[in-house]
This record gives sequence, structure tokens and C-alpha cells, in this order.
Amino acid sequence: MKKFAVILKYELKEYISSKGFVAFTLLLAIIGAVLLCLPRFIDMSAFTGVDSSESSNEEETVPDTPAAYNSDKKYALYDPGNIADIKLLSDYFFGAQFVKVSDTGELEKMLEDETADAGFAVKSQTEYEYYVFNKTMYDSDSEVFNEAMKAMSRARYCEQHGLDLSEITQMYDPPITVTEHILNKNTTQSYWYCYALVIIVFMLIMFYGQMIAVSVTTEKSNRAIEVLVTSTTPNSLLFGKVIAGAIAGLLQSGIILGTILVSYRFNRQLWGGMLDIVLDIPANVLIVFAVFGTLGYLFYAFLFGAMGALVSKTEDVSKSVSGLTMIIMLIYFFSLFQLSNVDGIIIKVLSYLPFSSYTTMFMRIAMGSVAVWEIIVSLIILIASVIGAGMLGAALYRMGTLRYGNPIKLSAALKGLKKQ
Amino acid sequence: MELEIRDIHKSFGENEVLHGISFKVQSGQALGLLGRNGAGKTTAIRILMDVFHANSGQILIDGKPFRAERHKIGYLPEERGLYPKRTVTDQMVFLARLRGMKKADALKSAAKWLERLGISEYAGRKLETLSKGNQQKVQLAATLIADPEIVILDEPFSGLDPVNSQVLKDVVNELIDAGKAVIFSSHQMNYVEEFCDSIAIIHRGQIVLSGRLSEIKREYGQNRLMLSASNYQAAQLESKLRTEFSDILSVSGKTKTALILNRADNVSTSDIMRRIADSDIEIYKFGSYEPSLGDIFVDKAGDEE
Repeated sequence: MKKFAVILKYELKEYISSKGFVAFTLLLAIIGAVLLCLPRFIDMSAFTGVDSSESSNEEETVPDTPAAYNSDKKYALYDPGNIADIKLLSDYFFGAQFVKVSDTGELEKMLEDETADAGFAVKSQTEYEYYVFNKTMYDSDSEVFNEAMKAMSRARYCEQHGLDLSEITQMYDPPITVTEHILNKNTTQSYWYCYALVIIVFMLIMFYGQMIAVSVTTEKSNRAIEVLVTSTTPNSLLFGKVIAGAIAGLLQSGIILGTILVSYRFNRQLWGGMLDIVLDIPANVLIVFAVFGTLGYLFYAFLFGAMGALVSKTEDVSKSVSGLTMIIMLIYFFSLFQLSNVDGIIIKVLSYLPFSSYTTMFMRIAMGSVAVWEIIVSLIILIASVIGAGMLGAALYRMGTLRYGNPIKLSAALKGLKKQ
Repeated sequence: MELEIRDIHKSFGENEVLHGISFKVQSGQALGLLGRNGAGKTTAIRILMDVFHANSGQILIDGKPFRAERHKIGYLPEERGLYPKRTVTDQMVFLARLRGMKKADALKSAAKWLERLGISEYAGRKLETLSKGNQQKVQLAATLIADPEIVILDEPFSGLDPVNSQVLKDVVNELIDAGKAVIFSSHQMNYVEEFCDSIAIIHRGQIVLSGRLSEIKREYGQNRLMLSASNYQAAQLESKLRTEFSDILSVSGKTKTALILNRADNVSTSDIMRRIADSDIEIYKFGSYEPSLGDIFVDKAGDEE
């Protein structure tokens, strides 16, 4: 136990004293904090919809007019019948400039000369042509112009028939007030933070798992293992490495995630709550994420360590761990694909398997309906599997550590263990 | 203190690699554990260090079962290696702490050994920045940092220049003087002869020769003579002896300069000398044959086929 503590401390120091680890952790935490504090220093109202100069106690106000299409473009308009109402168009194309032209030839020339970004030729009250030099993926000018044409048509009809446009609009499209009372879970909100947490735990397992495997193989390839195995037990060595990696991973993700979540909590009102879908994670989900994520991480880390011991050169590590990474990738994609169907049978089954419960159980807790006994059963299976993985990992590690040369196949290693 | 390895058998799968090896080493003495590559030396050492478990046999210390974790053992493996990216002191303290030392004591001991080996200035440097010889010295310092009672040195001189070899020789002698039990494995026989009171030669998983070196040499030289002539080449001399002197001697081998002869039973050295003197052989060198350890090793561990 004492030796385990010495190894744990030594390995942890290796992570923590690494410039890369410190720089990466601090950089991400600082970038996260700075980005989330931006509304305090610069006016981001156009982006957040909240005026930072307003008192933060003010109620969030929703604009009563439809969101205008912000555009700083210049449009050429050929309207021989004087059908288009420039004022109304300006309401729809907020900030845009319309230049009347005498024919479509002039319109096209303006586009070619780049003196206009796009152009409209209005042929009748219900027909127009849209001109653009290069159409981009996000070009929605014609959709907005459609709406403007419809509005003009409605206004004309009302005028011709002596009707009150605003009254008809009120009748036709009355403003509805809705107040949601969500009694259990808001999956539209939890979807995105679940998505983010699945990615985080996936990245942690892949990143630290590989690091542990490489660290084990490096000790073999530089022969440090020769002295180590005669100074302590293989169990202490493997457990020390894995637990140190777990602590480093938790520390790193804790610092980054913690900084981001706390920064957002302080600046939430300035953001108008717009990042709630990712950053307003309930405490119970975070706790389950931490518990299941850590156990899942340990489960894989022991196996990564054992896989590292089966090869003697660091360049062989990726081949040795390929089976494990494949399983992790599959679980990752299954989790993301089934994120909108967490009460489906696939996620239910995956939430009991130790290979996948680390990610699927907190998805079910955050977005689906899950009984407490299910969580407890899944947790017990996962804990038992972590212990099993630890024992199997240590046995493979013990067998592999002093065997140099060609990589040992997992099947051969398992057969060897069975014989023993 | 006497450490005894008794009748150790070890198999890997179906393959038995040690077929009942035994040897002893005492405090204040060095045992030369010799053998060709793959003979089973490292396996024997790993069993002693409890890295591998023997299939049968015993390891005893003063007649009682030996448990490696209860004793301080310093092991310098043939396959050297520490942590290239960590500082010298950092990893020395780590290894000392794994062997039960307190941090403060480990730091003191690390400083002492680095000073003794003349590499104090590298204490704070990363291992990979040191020359190969200095890395080897760091490894030796790491072996000795926890003041071991049993020291196992596997090819300690390989890769060292003559100056560093001298430093290491002094250190090994100091260890022996300080009452440590030293197990010394090397292919450089001159070092073994210099340090070791006793030897054990392992060949194909078996001890083919063991005991006190002086006695082995004496025994090995008994009834054996050495002869060279100034008027005959070795091959001619050998042929002559085989045809004309077969009643009193036989040729059992040759060194670089002389033939090695075995006396026939009931024939004295004087009888042989007289017969040779009476022949046309002009004696260049004649006397008792004292084998070198290298000769003994080749004789015992060389393949006959």
C-alpha cells in the first residue's frame, strides 16, 4: 500500500509537472472563462439579445416585432410597375440598401461590377426574379423577399377593400402567451449538455487510456521495468499508474469544466440564458456523470495498461489498443445516435453493460426515465467490472512486463493466464 | 549472513529452463554467477528477487526461507534503463522510497552516492541529457541508494571506460569490505577473478561447476602440465607427444602458447620432464598448468557439438 502511494505520487507528479498538461489545462480554463465573461466587457447584445448596459435585474424582454433579417448588403431593384414598397422592404431587410435600376441589364452589370450584392426584378405582384453573382449556402435573400412580397400583397388587398391591416393581422396571427411547467425533465435542454458530456468522457478515456498504455510500454522499452519489478509489485505499479491517470484526468477536466460552469453561472444573465442548453447542468447529472465517468475511465484504464504491457515498443501501442479503442468508438457513436431515444431498448441495455454504462446511464438520468434500482444495479455491475478489469489488467501486466520482443497477442496472453 | 539457492527448478510453459540450480553467497563475499547468454542467470536472479516463482526448490537465508521483500536488495540489471525524462535525483529518490526509505534519508543517500561516483553536478539534470557512462553510474547509484545487504550486479562493467571501470571496481571492493553479499554476473572473467571468492557456472539451466575459485583452479590444474617447445610448432609437438609419449601423458588442450597435458596414472611430473629432456624436444616452457577462469568457463560452458 505504501509502495502504491509512492508510485501514485511519482506518476501524478509526472502529469502535473508536465508543461503540456499545465499549459493545456490553464489555457482551456482561461479561454473558457474569458469567453464567458465577454458580455461584461463588450457589447454582445446583437449576439445574445441582451443589452449589457441594462441592469441585470431587468426582466428579459422579447421583441414584439418579428426578427428582422439583418443585412448590410446593397440590392439592385428593377421595379418597372412600382409594385415594391421600399420602406416595407427595408423593414424586412434590416440595414440593407436598395438601388432602383432601369432594366435587368443594368442590374446584372451592377452584380458583375460588384456594386450590388444581389438584385430583384419585380415582374408582377406575385412574380419576381432573383439575381445573384455567386449563391452562397446561407443565402436566404429570396425567402425574405418572398415574405416581403406577401406582406405587400396583403397590404394592397386591405387598402383596395377598405380593411384594417393591423386588425386582420391581429386576428390572423394573434400573439399567444405560453408558460411551460416542466414537471420532470426538459430534454430539449438536457440533450445538448448530454451531448457535450458524452464527448468529454469519450475524450478523457481515449486520451488518458492511450497515455497509460504508452507509459507502461515506455517503461518496458527503456527497461526501467527491470528495476521497478524488483522494487515493488506489478499490482502496485499498474494501480499506481491508472489511479494517477484518473486523478490527473479528473483534475484537468474538473478545473476546465468547473471554471467554465462557474464563469457561466456568474455571467448567465448577461448571456440571457442562451447557453443554458449546454452549461446549465443539474447537480445530480454532474454527480452521476462524475461517478460513472470515473468508474468507466478506471475500467478502460486498467485494460489500456494491460494492453501496453503486451508490447515492447511504443510504436506498437496503437495496434495493441486498437480493439479497445474500437469498442470505445462504437459506444460513443451508439450513444450519440441514440441520444434522442434514451428510453429505447438499445440505451437501456447499454446502460447496464460496463463497457458502456459510464456514458449511457447519465444520459438516461438526464433525459429519460430511470428507476433508482436501475442506477444501483448498473453501478454495482460497473464497480464489480472495474475490480475485475483491475485484476485481469494486473495479471496481464505481470505476465507481459518482462516479455520483450514481438507483441504478445491478447488471445495468447489470455490462454497463458488460463493455464496459470 | 548466508544466502542459499537450493535446487531451483523453473519452467515457462512446457519448457524447463532451470533444472535444479544451487549456489550460496555469504556476507562480505562476492559470488561470480557465470554462464553464456540464455543460460538461465537472469531467470535465477529474478526468482531470487521474487519476480518469478520457482516451480520447486528453496531460497534460504541463514537456513530460513528467504522473502525478497523483507530484505534490502540492490539490483543492477543487465538491461539498464531508468526514466529518461525525469531528473537524476527525482528517480533515485523514487526508487529508494519504493525500497522503504524515507524521503529525507533518500535525498541524503542520493547525494552521497552521486558524490561518490563523481556525478553530483548532474543531480538536477534529466537523465537523457547525460552520457551513456554517466547514465550507467546513475543506475549504479540507484542500485546502492537504499544501502542494500544483498547486491546483485549483472554485467556492471559493460559500457564503462577504463577510468569509470576503476571507480566501479573500488565501489565493488568497498561493498565487499562493508560486509555486503555480492552476486556478480559478468562475461568479463578478469573482473570475476578480481572480486569473487566463489563462482557458479550455469550452463543450459544447470550448475556445471561451483565452489571456491582458488580451489576450483587448483583442482582444475591438478595432474595437468603445460609444455611448449622452441623447435616444434604446437601442432607438430602435439602429434609427436601423441605418438611417442602416450604411455605417460595425453594432450588435453592448448593455450595460445602451450599444450596442456594430462599425466597418466602413477607417472610423476619428474618422470615426464626426464622423458622429454631425453628426447629432441627443446623445452621452451614447462610447468604446472594453472587454468584461467576463462579456460575453465570455456571448458564447462562451451558446446562440445
